[in-house]
This record gives sequence, C-alpha cells and structure tokens, in this order.
Amino acid sequence: MKTCPYCGFDNREGVLYCEECGHPFYSQKDAVETTQLSQDAHEGFKGRMTWGTARFEEGALLVIRIRDVPEPITIEPVRDIIIGRRDPLGGDPPDLDLSPYGAAELGVSRRHALIRRGEDTLTLVDLESTNGTFLNGQRLLPHQPRVLRDGDEVRMGRFVLNLFFK
Amino acid sequence: MDASRNLYAILGVPPEATADDIREAYRLMARRFHPDANPNEGAALQFRDIVTAYDILSDPGERLRYDEARRALRSEPTPFSLRVMPSKRVLSALAEPQVLYLLLEIMPPRQAGAAQRRTAPLNLTLVLDRSTSMRGARLDKVKIAAHNIIEQLSAQDVISIVTFSDRAEVLIPATTVTDKTSLCAAVSIMSAGGGTEIYHGLAAGIAECRRHLAPRMVNHVILLTDGRTFGDEERCLELAREAAAEGIGISAMGIGEEWNDQFLDALAAATGGTSAYIQSPKAVLQFLDERVRSLGNAFAERLQLTVAPDADVVLESAFRLQPTPQPIDVSPQPIQLGTLEKSRPITVLIQLQMPPSIKTGFRTVARLDVTGDVLWSERQQHKGISDISVEIAQNPQPEEPPMAILDALGKLTLYRMQQKAEQALNDGRVQDASRQLENLATRLLAAGHEELAQKAIIEARRVSHTHALSQEGRKSLKFQTRQLLALPMPESDKR
Repeated sequence: MKTCPYCGFDNREGVLYCEECGHPFYSQKDAVETTQLSQDAHEGFKGRMTWGTARFEEGALLVIRIRDVPEPITIEPVRDIIIGRRDPLGGDPPDLDLSPYGAAELGVSRRHALIRRGEDTLTLVDLESTNGTFLNGQRLLPHQPRVLRDGDEVRMGRFVLNLFFK
Repeated sequence: MDASRNLYAILGVPPEATADDIREAYRLMARRFHPDANPNEGAALQFRDIVTAYDILSDPGERLRYDEARRALRSEPTPFSLRVMPSKRVLSALAEPQVLYLLLEIMPPRQAGAAQRRTAPLNLTLVLDRSTSMRGARLDKVKIAAHNIIEQLSAQDVISIVTFSDRAEVLIPATTVTDKTSLCAAVSIMSAGGGTEIYHGLAAGIAECRRHLAPRMVNHVILLTDGRTFGDEERCLELAREAAAEGIGISAMGIGEEWNDQFLDALAAATGGTSAYIQSPKAVLQFLDERVRSLGNAFAERLQLTVAPDADVVLESAFRLQPTPQPIDVSPQPIQLGTLEKSRPITVLIQLQMPPSIKTGFRTVARLDVTGDVLWSERQQHKGISDISVEIAQNPQPEEPPMAILDALGKLTLYRMQQKAEQALNDGRVQDASRQLENLATRLLAAGHEELAQKAIIEARRVSHTHALSQEGRKSLKFQTRQLLALPMPESDKR
C-alpha cells in the first residue's frame, strides 16, 4: 500500500499518481533533467528531495528554522498556531509572530497560515494570504490542509522556514 | 485457407515447432485463456483464435498446406509493429493487489510516410446540424469548413453531405469529387430551422457512406451538432456499433454548450473515431481540417485491439492517447482504435490490476492482439500479437517508471480527476466534487496550466454554492484536460 503524502489516501502498490488527489509519487522533473547542475544550484533545495516522516507523536516538538537566523524556534503545537506578523495598528497578534525577522518586507500577511495539530500529524493551511504559502515549492490552495513532514520547507511570500520534528 | 494470420504467433511457438511443442503450447494457452478458467472478455476472443490455430497446426496435412500458403505471402514486409512498455519490469511479491500499466504503441513501418506520398482515398460523409440554434455564425463557419474540405479532396475521394434538424435531408448524395463548384454551391444553400434529432441525420449519413463502402478506403462519418438529442441516443449508439462492424468510423464534434458530451464520446469510442468540443464557430474549420487531414494520412484503417489479461489479472481501463486523445471502453471487445496514420503511432495506456500473493519468477500478464486493414496491402487484415511478461521478485531493486508512462499518466490523471468530480456530483456527493476540483486546480497549477486551474477553482466554488457545474466550465475542463494529452501534429504531415 502507498499512502499519499498529500491527502493521506491509501493507494494500491504500483500506482504512479494518487488516485484520489493526483499527487505524483515519482518526480518527473528528476527524470527529465539530465543536465548536470553545479553544486551551488543544489543549495537551498535540501530537504525537498527526501521526505521525512509525517508522523508527529504526542508530546513531540516542532523546530522552526528561519533562513539566516541562527537560533531555531521550538514549540509544542498542542492547538492551532497562526503564523503571521504583528499589526502595528493593533489587533490580535499571531501565535508565531515573524515581524522581528523582516516579515513585512518579505511579504508575509498578518494572518498568513496556520499549523494545525491532527491525530499523529501536523497540517499546514494557507489563510488566503496575499502572497501565498508554498510547501516544498508548491503553492497551497487557501483553506486546504496539507500534511507536513519532517524537513519540509515552507515559504510565505519570500519568507522561508524549515520545519523539523523532534 | 486464410494464411494471412500467423498461427504460430497465436500459439506462441516458432514455425519449426514439433507436434509435441504445439500440443504443449495449446495446453498452456488453454490454461490461460479458456473461458472456464478466465472470465475476461478479451480472453474468450483470444481463445477462439487459439482453437482455430491449434486445429490447423495439429493436423499434419492442414499444417503443410498452411505453411505453403504462408510462404507465398512472405515477401510482404511487416505492416505495423507493436511495442509494449510496462510501468515495471520486476514486480515485488506482495500479499496485496498491485497496479501495472502498459503503454502500447502501434507503429506504422518506418518508411511508410516517405514511400506513400499520396493520401488515402476517403469515403467521407458530413452530417451537419441545421437546427435553428445553428443560425448565424455557426452555420456560416460550417459552410466555409465544408467548402474547405471539398477543395482539399480529389477525384479519388467520395463525399456525401447530410443535413438534419427534426428530419434528415441528403444534401449531396455520395459522389466522387469531380465537380467541386457545384458541390460547393449545394452546400451554400443550406439554411437553418427546426429542432435537433441526431438519429435521423446519422442514419441517413451512414446510409450514404455505406453506398461507397470499400475496404481500401477510409470510410468515415463526421457528425457536427450544437444540440442535445432526446430519446434517440441509445438508437444512435446501436447504429454506431453496426457502422463500426461494417468498417465505418464516426467522429463527432459539438459546438457551444448544449450538446451531450457523454453521448458524443460514446459514439466516437464505439467506432474508433474522435470527439471534440468547439467553443467558437471559428474552431470548426480547424477541427474539420485536422480530422480530414488525419484520415487522409491513413496507413491502415479499422484497427482493433483485444486485451486478454491472464485469468487472475483484471483489466481496469484503457485510454487512447494518440493520434487523438480519446477515452475508450474496455467492453465490448475488440476495442475500436480507428485510423493508423503513416507517421504517427497509435498509443494506448492500459491499466491492469495484478492479483495478491503472486509467486516469484517470470509470469505472463496479458496478451495484446491488434488487427487492422492496411490500405495499400495486397492482403487485407493484418494482425500483431504481443504477450506481456514480468518478473516477480522478493524486494526487487527500486525502478523508475518509464518517462513515457509517467508523462502520459500524469496528464491522464488530470483528465480523470475532472471525470471523478463530475461523477461525485452526479452521485450527489457535493463536497467530494468540490474537493476533487480543488485537487485538480492544485495539480493544474503545479503543472503550469494556470488558466485551467483558475477555471477549476471557479467551478469548485460554484459547486459548493450551487451544487452544479456550469455547462461551459464543465465542458472546457473536460476537453481541455483531455487536450493536454494531445501531441502536436508532426510538421511533415501538414499539407
């Protein structure tokens, strides 16, 4: 059996695209691109090639690394975590406020996305953000939850986060 | 004696096989395809051929006569060849069922394009809707398209034109294309008025086509409509199946939003034709032109495919990718594939389910059998057989599926998602339908088809609000996702 990392549907073995949501199980790009890329070209793509586990157990911690910020943020996601930036004019601040890291300049919305705790999983939901939320380079549709995996790269506008499970 | 069929290939033995070899081969084939052992429809057809082959080859006198007759035919080159690519060559031995895809390519001989510059003789019938709704730009474009076709044809071709509304009229009875001026004049007097009853038009059209029905011609009916026919669809399909059995193909084209796409798809699928959706009257010209050009490029006609899976293998679906993308039914068999062009293969993607707990080692999966009439060949029906085998192993090396399959299936998946959304909606599962459309939008976006993705999102919203798709959105999603599968026509084929 092959469980779709995108929608969780259980496909039969041998299926090449998820029969429920069409998610490709094999990357066509990998097979097409035969040109040898320089080592630099691979920088910043780490974590996209390998899929980590989607299992997020009780009591596990989520480590959020922000590009160019040495100290990671560690949280225990027991409830919904809204990611965004604090509005200087007031209003409820998001649970994870990215404004200290230049969020406004990089196009993060005030309520940009949220991380939701599911049973043994975490999902990422875009909250109709202005500049969009991208999971491993793929744009999310608003309000459509996507399962997160250890090592995933999340981009909000031009703001890049890497998520690790601990 | 009909020596055109390779009986040795049917039994899967070399021509020098001994009587014992032949008996053993028959025993194995019977175990694979005997109707008592194998419930698949294609298997029954295969078994009939196998029995015929065995009857002849197991009788020394008959076999000698067959061999002699066959030697006389030897000089002819192989007319078309089959190439089959499985999605995996080595399957893992699993306790659960697994899916295996086969990409079948039916290829014309390499030199066919260069050697036969002339176009295939056409016996073409146009069946044109002239109901009230066709009035204006639609009918004008149809007339221009018909004029263009007449201009393209030559004295070797036969044309007939039938118009219909509530009833059918033969505008141009089947005739060779010699006096183009008066043919064009006849088209020009067409006027719109009345309802849409396809059956009458189709019946009259097929009758005209039948008058010049010839095995060395491409016999084809092109139906063009903008409306929905009521109550006579089943009769139309019955007519189409009869036409297919006689060797007449049907292509169907719908203009605007009103017509029934499922019906036109079924009509085309039953005869190996093509169905298309035309949004603007302008596109009529292009579609008809391409269709007629494709028919004129015919190397072989009336291609038929039989898929005979082994007894424990299930045939789930098949889709024709080339020359034009078209969903095809796996029942009834043989499956009609239509025209094999001189310089383009026919490709079909077949989805099979392998049984759970298969023993390790090599095993057969299915037999594919293709027949077709080569237009310039001395003998008529040609046949190609391909027996597909895979290896089953414990923990085999991971294998990248072939690019051709990944690519085709990726696009086909988009088309299928649209179909699933529609199915969900028909079943009253509104949320499922809306989710499917959102998934489709995500995939379309990922594949770089932004405009189509937008359409899918709009339709997803519409579905969750109104529990229905718009006619226009539904048709354009369906036919445009299908069209993603189309490859551009080779440059060399353009006139």
